[in-house]
Amino acid sequence: MQRRQRLKQSEKKKYQDKQVDVLEVLREHGAKIYRDLEDGQFPKFSIPSRSVSNIVYDKRLRQYILGSAATQRNSRNSSQLRSFTQLIWLAFFANRLTQEKKSSTLRDVYYSSQAFAVEFDDQSESDNIIVDLEAVTSKPREDFHIFPEERSSIFGDLDIEYTIPGYEGKKMNLSNHPDGYSIGPSLTTAELVDTSAEIVIAIEKGGLFTRFVEEQVDKKFKSIIINTGGQAPRSTRTLLKRLHDELSLPIIVLTDGDVYGEHIAMVIKSGSANAAHLRELTVPDAKWVGVWATDIEKYNLPTIPMTESDIKRCHDLKKDPRYESGIWKKELEVFLRIKRKAELEAFSKYGLTNITDKYLPPKLELAKSL
Amino acid sequence: MSIEKFNQISPSEFFYSNRDLAGFSNPTRSLYTAVREFVENALDACDQKGVLPDVHLKIQAVDPEKHDPKHYILTVSDNGPGVDSKHVPHAFGTVLYGSKFGLKQARGMFGLGATMAILYGQITTNKPVTVKSCTDGQTQDKFEILLDIQRNKPVILKHSTKPASKKGLSVSICLEGDYSKAGGKIRDYVYETSLITPYASITFDDPKGQKFHHPRFVKDIPKAPTIIRPHPHGIDVERIRRMIVESQFEIPSIDDAMIEKVRRELGLAKKNLGFESMMARVEKKWKTLTRQVRVVISIVSFLGMDLERLSKIKIEDIDVPNKKLFYWDFGDSQSKSVDIDPESSYYKQLTNTVQGEQLTTFLTKRFQRVGPATAVKFAEFAQLRPEKRMGTLSNQELVHLSDSLQKFDAFLAPDSSCLAPLGESPLEKGIKKFFNPDFAAVVQRPASAYSGFPFIVEMGIAYGGDIKSGGPHVYRYANRIPLLYDEGSDVVLKVVNETDWARYKVKGEPPFLIVSHICSTRIPYKTAGKENVADRPEIERELRLALQFLSRKLAAYMSKRGQAEMAKKRANLYAKYIPLIAEFCTELAGKKKKPDYSQILEQSAPEIEAPNAKEAEIETK
Repeated sequence: MQRRQRLKQSEKKKYQDKQVDVLEVLREHGAKIYRDLEDGQFPKFSIPSRSVSNIVYDKRLRQYILGSAATQRNSRNSSQLRSFTQLIWLAFFANRLTQEKKSSTLRDVYYSSQAFAVEFDDQSESDNIIVDLEAVTSKPREDFHIFPEERSSIFGDLDIEYTIPGYEGKKMNLSNHPDGYSIGPSLTTAELVDTSAEIVIAIEKGGLFTRFVEEQVDKKFKSIIINTGGQAPRSTRTLLKRLHDELSLPIIVLTDGDVYGEHIAMVIKSGSANAAHLRELTVPDAKWVGVWATDIEKYNLPTIPMTESDIKRCHDLKKDPRYESGIWKKELEVFLRIKRKAELEAFSKYGLTNITDKYLPPKLELAKSL
Repeated sequence: MSIEKFNQISPSEFFYSNRDLAGFSNPTRSLYTAVREFVENALDACDQKGVLPDVHLKIQAVDPEKHDPKHYILTVSDNGPGVDSKHVPHAFGTVLYGSKFGLKQARGMFGLGATMAILYGQITTNKPVTVKSCTDGQTQDKFEILLDIQRNKPVILKHSTKPASKKGLSVSICLEGDYSKAGGKIRDYVYETSLITPYASITFDDPKGQKFHHPRFVKDIPKAPTIIRPHPHGIDVERIRRMIVESQFEIPSIDDAMIEKVRRELGLAKKNLGFESMMARVEKKWKTLTRQVRVVISIVSFLGMDLERLSKIKIEDIDVPNKKLFYWDFGDSQSKSVDIDPESSYYKQLTNTVQGEQLTTFLTKRFQRVGPATAVKFAEFAQLRPEKRMGTLSNQELVHLSDSLQKFDAFLAPDSSCLAPLGESPLEKGIKKFFNPDFAAVVQRPASAYSGFPFIVEMGIAYGGDIKSGGPHVYRYANRIPLLYDEGSDVVLKVVNETDWARYKVKGEPPFLIVSHICSTRIPYKTAGKENVADRPEIERELRLALQFLSRKLAAYMSKRGQAEMAKKRANLYAKYIPLIAEFCTELAGKKKKPDYSQILEQSAPEIEAPNAKEAEIETK
């Protein structure tokens, strides 16, 4: 079996450099503020504006990015002083986390602040500051070792080597446990050493993930299976990107046959407007293979009618430039026409293994040509 | 057919049966009212003589073990002029006897309340009032007096004298009261009284052995008010009738002193002249004679007597319409009469005396702000002859006169010299001393008048300092009396409550207060208990103007204070956050030593000078 071993040294190097890079960026900001204080200048941050008017779609990058507008957060302004302090505190805190290789969650950050006399009214305030820091540094929060709560999971023949303290150098193969491995900080930061897989299948639902493991889709199709658990968390998207960039694995996405499923695939491919300030989270080459609206008719799947909010969502997405062409546009129009949707489980009508036996193979073939 | 029996009751009896009116409705209220009456009398007495008052109030329980309501001994002593010993029995043993009937501002009107308190004490405990008075600083008279309620007469139980060293009056009564309930109000009363009477020193020994001392903190006693004549607008028919009686030139009583005076003016001190020769001398000397002597001579001219004989009779009546003069002859012990000859040159002298002054003279001499020209104009307005004798006015004409006095609008505004406002400076000092406020302003409005009674509104406003939150707290005064009860229906409260404080930047539960003082020759109280002031439009207007003026000052202060608070808040913000920023960036930058951020903190110091709290300028006018 051909192993994809350290196929792209340059990509791997890039990830290790990233950690150093984050610390460097934070140190630069700290030094700048230190100088300002010494010089009797009120320090300030320039934060790219995340207002709707400043979110634009970059066709070359194939994702949403922030425009050139920026807001100043100036410590001279008494109404910004508090949030300025929160921001520098967060940078300080992120610096410690990164140096000590400790991970933390959004909620952790909210509580940790209280040890430093920096108060947040509630978690949404601290979450906002975290996004501010992402915008200032153009780094996702995972780079600062701040992770979301939600976990998705991964299964397949992939050797990893941990880098987190206490596990450094320890290796693991991700096909040893049939329930899969949850994608947390240790996995996201681990080195991707070796794999026999030739493709990554990201699937929207946990139930189907289990089915795929049971049906040995990993072996049958030489694949790594990832459960996104609905909209893919950023750590999962980071991992997907690494699998693609470092191991040159193509990514395919399998979702429910509705407008939300279509968009889950789109976010993996080209990010969300919410994360327009970040550029490390997208896998522009990812492919959505189903369930398409056209599949509903083609496979005669049991359906449920679309709700009003489904239809409204269709119309909203039609205005999105990413949905202006190709399969994205076509499927969206079909959804609007048939006004019905089908879940992945709908294939069970034709037997529990129908989806893996009959539906998946042609789709994988198709993916090559997409 | 039933026969109704009409009895005249004495004023004592009247008040006995209507004591609720005067604030003696229950033991709690009565104790409070009694304290008030005596303290106010003491302060009034001192004010009148320009003495800086030292008032000592003492309440002792007769039997401390008993439960309220119980008997208390209430004693109020002052350093005033005292009461002449011959007036003491009447002053303290008769209702409606007093020295305050003139028209000027005083706390009490007639000294009525004190007698009511004595009456109440006597009714509830059957104990006499004890009065100690010293008017000359040498001898003190001590009386124990009971009131004969039916006859409105004093009954002196004991009278003694002893040497004394200071002038002053001390009144002590025993009465039923409820100190456990009235105590709070009494303490408030003493406290608030000392605020409006900053030149007085007031001490209060309460039944529980606590001492409350309010020292004097202003050394100048306000200018004493002058007694003035009434204003034509503030008059009614009954008042005019009384004034006419007062104004009628009385027939002098022809006693030895009078005869002596006649002799002196005629130069007859040593010799006796017969009637004829005396009258001849009168004609020569007429121009030099005083009016009283002229009246006596006129009478003598009709009697045809010499001075020797004149001393043995007493004039009983002069009946002008029937042209008769009645007299009592001591010699024959019988009443006699002589005719009065209208042709006689002395006739006019006599009848003018009896019939009183001419209308214009009456107006100019008996009223304030009426000159001869105004009097003539008024006579024309009222369609009365200017030279009409007041004594000859019919009932109908009197009513017409009274109405016309009300309607005539060319009278000048009432004279306010009879008023004694506290003054802006002492009021301000009082407010500052009592409440230690961050801001205070006072204003005295110019004199105004309602229904012919002059009044002046003084007001103070204060914010912050020791003032409790939940304001505005309103301290109401009328003629230097604190008003503590029945505040709900008071005109001052009405004006304060109708103010939209948010407009003056006063929000939430602000610590601020208002002191309102209304001075008038007659405060329009709603009840005899003197607790709330009726809403006369003129008074309401003055209150409103005073409050608006002060509120604007307060608003100016509040916005300054707001800015200062903001600046301070901001400075605090920098003081809090800049060190944090320094701490965080030190570690971020990988340095050991924190940056020197002192320059930053200096820059963020408040730009607007905070108004120094205790030196907040007090603006007046």
